Amino acid sequence: MQREVDAGPRLNFADFVTLVITFFSLGVTLQVLLIDIGTSQVRAFIASSVIFSATSQFAYLAVKDAGGSEWPAILAGVIVATRFGILAVSLRPRLPEGRLRRLAATVNAFDPNVAIAVQQAEPKAAEREFWRTTAAMMLGWFSGVAVGTFLGDVLGDTSRLGLDAVFPAALLAIMGNLLRTRDGRTAGITGGLLCLVLIPLAPPGLPIILSLGGVVVAVALSTEPRLSKSGTP
Amino acid sequence: MTTLSIIALTIGVWGQRLLGGFVVGPWLERQPTLTRAAKLIPAAVVTAVIVQLTVADGRTLVADARLAGVLVAGVLVWRKAPFLVVVLGAAVTTALLRAL
Repeated sequence: MQREVDAGPRLNFADFVTLVITFFSLGVTLQVLLIDIGTSQVRAFIASSVIFSATSQFAYLAVKDAGGSEWPAILAGVIVATRFGILAVSLRPRLPEGRLRRLAATVNAFDPNVAIAVQQAEPKAAEREFWRTTAAMMLGWFSGVAVGTFLGDVLGDTSRLGLDAVFPAALLAIMGNLLRTRDGRTAGITGGLLCLVLIPLAPPGLPIILSLGGVVVAVALSTEPRLSKSGTP
Repeated sequence: MTTLSIIALTIGVWGQRLLGGFVVGPWLERQPTLTRAAKLIPAAVVTAVIVQLTVADGRTLVADARLAGVLVAGVLVWRKAPFLVVVLGAAVTTALLRAL
């Protein structure tokens, strides 16, 4: 295999369709669950359209559900969204020229589009694959959110369908690659255990916030050399 | 979801991308240890959210059909199953256990 020839993966039609279906199902599920716990259809539609982060919405709702107050719940939602900040950092070396184009790509940083963009050898290809992936995600998400908003009223008891297991499972799949690395696994297991122990003890919201301690433990236990030669993931 | 939470989360989610891409990013790239720590944040906090969504009922810990579903998802992720298979596996396991 010659390295020059390897231009990076392309989003083919099957990948495009899979992404649309994936984001469609997530959008539907999120809406149905939001409406099931008592959010009005209009509010659920607006929330999922503008926040566009099921992780943050779920972190917020989990804290509220545990009896937490507004700000700890919001803080938990914002902390889990650091994922998107990190994705924006990873995307930096692959950002296109031009202020507006950089801005547009940065605010749309998600797991699938950043993953494909950083694997491209050519900047032009990186931008093209980034936006094709983004288009698939958006198409799936917004149609899913729209359909889910209507289904929410029709479906009834969602726990019967096992929908409450969908989001933890989806998050696990998203984090799969990171949890496969040694440091990622240490951070994940420690963070998860901290949260588990703290749920019955600490005020709602704090278990998620304090799970950040898992990062400290992972860095302390890391066997990676102190100075890596580059910051690329 | 309250109006306050919708506004605050929107700013928090989209704002962090701008922070990462334009403010913290350029500085962070020169701090290898901090960069590594920052990349581990999602592993810790997202796992915490997974735990909360899987075994918490309010502030009590419960082991129910959800846990079984997420465990099945864990095995599927470990075996590198496609995303939709993972999600469906979790939902079907949970639904079947509840139907019993």
